[in-house]
Amino acid sequence: MNLGNFGNILLLVCLSASLIQSLYLLPKKIDINYKIFSRIPFFFSLFAFILLIYIFVDSNFNYQLVVNNSHSEKPLIYKIAGAWGNHEGSLLLWILVLTIFNFIFSYSKIKNLDFKKNVISFQSFIIFGFTLFLFFTSNPFIQSESIVNEGLGLNPVLQDLLLAIHPPILYIGYVGYSLVLSFAVGGMLSNKVDKEWAGWLHPWVLTAWIFLTLGIGLGSFWAYYELGWGGYWFWDPVENASLMPWLAGTALFHCVIILEKKNILQSWTILLSILTFSLSLIGTFLVRSGILNSVHTFASDPTRGLFILIFLAIILVISFTLYAFKGPLLDNKSEINLVSKESSILANNWLLLSTLFVVFLGTLYPLGTDLFLQKSISVGPNYYILSLLPITVLLLFIMIIGPNAKWQNDKITEIIFSISKLFILSLAIIFGFSIYFIELQLTQITLLTLSLTLILVSIKNGLRIKNSYTIIKPSLGKSLAHIGFGLLILSVVGNATFAQEKIFQAKVNDILILDNHKFKFKSVEQTKGKNYNSIKAIFYLMDNKTILETFKPEIRVYSNPPTVTSETSIVRKFLADIYVVMNIPENSDFVNVRIHIKPLMSFIWFSIILMTLGGVSAIVFRVRLKR
Amino acid sequence: MSNKVKKRLIIILLSALVLIIATLLITMNLRDNIIYFYSPTELQLTNIDKKNIIRVGGLVKEDSYKYDDKTKIYSFIITDRSNEVDVSFVGIMPNLFAENKGVVVEGLAIDKASITAIKVLAKHDENYMPPEVIEALKKEGQWQEE
Repeated sequence: MNLGNFGNILLLVCLSASLIQSLYLLPKKIDINYKIFSRIPFFFSLFAFILLIYIFVDSNFNYQLVVNNSHSEKPLIYKIAGAWGNHEGSLLLWILVLTIFNFIFSYSKIKNLDFKKNVISFQSFIIFGFTLFLFFTSNPFIQSESIVNEGLGLNPVLQDLLLAIHPPILYIGYVGYSLVLSFAVGGMLSNKVDKEWAGWLHPWVLTAWIFLTLGIGLGSFWAYYELGWGGYWFWDPVENASLMPWLAGTALFHCVIILEKKNILQSWTILLSILTFSLSLIGTFLVRSGILNSVHTFASDPTRGLFILIFLAIILVISFTLYAFKGPLLDNKSEINLVSKESSILANNWLLLSTLFVVFLGTLYPLGTDLFLQKSISVGPNYYILSLLPITVLLLFIMIIGPNAKWQNDKITEIIFSISKLFILSLAIIFGFSIYFIELQLTQITLLTLSLTLILVSIKNGLRIKNSYTIIKPSLGKSLAHIGFGLLILSVVGNATFAQEKIFQAKVNDILILDNHKFKFKSVEQTKGKNYNSIKAIFYLMDNKTILETFKPEIRVYSNPPTVTSETSIVRKFLADIYVVMNIPENSDFVNVRIHIKPLMSFIWFSIILMTLGGVSAIVFRVRLKR
Repeated sequence: MSNKVKKRLIIILLSALVLIIATLLITMNLRDNIIYFYSPTELQLTNIDKKNIIRVGGLVKEDSYKYDDKTKIYSFIITDRSNEVDVSFVGIMPNLFAENKGVVVEGLAIDKASITAIKVLAKHDENYMPPEVIEALKKEGQWQEE
């Protein structure tokens, strides 16, 4: 049988099984064997995905998708990754991840069967919607219109190992929040939104958060070394699209913690669950519809955007209708004291949502002016920096105070007393730095001092002093993640303050000087790569006569599709990265070289790893405690 | 009014005030940091504030790309086939920059037909045309679907 038809049959089975399962949501509760119907879509979308990879590896140019995105001379790993490096394939991956979550959840030991079936059925409904979308607007198994012997190739910028694993990880994050929404809908349908519900939800919210954090970090890391602009975050719409669900998701899991501990804030948690997955969908819509101009270009198509928008509307209508009826009944009436752990988590919620508002406005405002005023604009990074500055200061402050407050009620004076030593220590360190090294401005001093205090306070909270220092296991995750956030702000501010950059036009044997670094332009090498030609410029970082480091920035000329890319050469040191990128203007006898000194870059990446590890250890120790 | 209700009322009013001020500040900040995009024709028709950073986009005119060895200034002309803008730029030209291809520059206008670029933006993909440039060419009736 024709492989494409086989693929279509797999998709149709996945489509119908998930539709049948979602019938349970109807008032009549059409109940079939949920174990079978929630697991079928997983196996069939997995087969479809493997089949797609197979036709890519096989370079089967009978299929339009392979023609558009692959080439027979491409290295094997990129043939495989090419399967999801395009719209259709990535959507199939999205569906696969949706079904994986449903599959794993179907094995959970939740005793409330009605609730469990509701969650599975709503998740099946989401799977149904996306499979419908895939099948009719973005079918990966469409045959090519004419006989083709060779493909167009994968965009060379995307031929990168990191970018092969980045989308799956980011998707697990995005899609993880679909199950969270299903939990919210299921909880409302079964009137089960309480402590126990929050306990069930907790590991899922964390899983989605871990992958989203890691995914955003990887994307940023890729942009840093591949785009060659020396930056790692550009406030670009595509980046913002992933940051928005992250912000809402972070607020959400803090709420889940309160709900689990104190049995309050039910309706607010539900609202955040709806918001977070909606933002995941909006993110997908923004990226896939191509209505926003981005530095990251993706295959895009307006009709696809429209479908996502309609699907988003359907999901929003369903969840909000349900919320309108059930929401007010969910809450336990109880007062929250101004100084308590609950109130600080709530304050943190509002600050995260304010950040979200700033990012949302900056991302969608250009879209609005384009649609209604026919005027193209873009929003400069200064908007984000200035707007987020006061929010970040408050957020750091609350993060220092909050974890030291007790549940229910506490005295502000006692908390301030307990952190004052570490605050004064941090202030002294930053002031000392400002006096002895480089004079800092007030905003920099504020941000650096608060983030350093946060790091120290979080370290202290993670350790308990008895006879010796021991790690408190249940709060290890929280401490790691908070240390990570403090370190992130510290290193981002440090990086912005001390970064240096200079552009040179250099001929062989020239000496280039930036700050106290001396570079010698040694030679130019030409080589042939697997599917490109390469020109490398060799630079030495010199200390009088000795060579300290060698840099080999590179230009690659690909023929399929014909593209020129610059490969950066980065030497990572503990305190700073040295980042060299070059290109060669047409008909010239010199090369253009840009050298950046990027302080604390390793700390930025390490801080993201710390946050991720914080999430992981929170799950691990939680599971342990239950046994 | 009981004490509890009073206390709540004050909290609600205060938070509303904070919210309004914050929103005002954010939107004002947004307005200050907007970068407008112009096609060469639109630039002719607009009164430009020379202190504001703007973007201009279109096609790079054939045979207009030059480099001055002494001043290290690159220069080229952006056209929408009706009007033109002279661009001068010091820095690294992007790899994908080429004559007859789409380009967007960001910088300060000198007058209605020339700009000093701070950034020259060219995108990943060689066939890629910035959406603004397509729009600008369409407005001048110069866009051909491939």
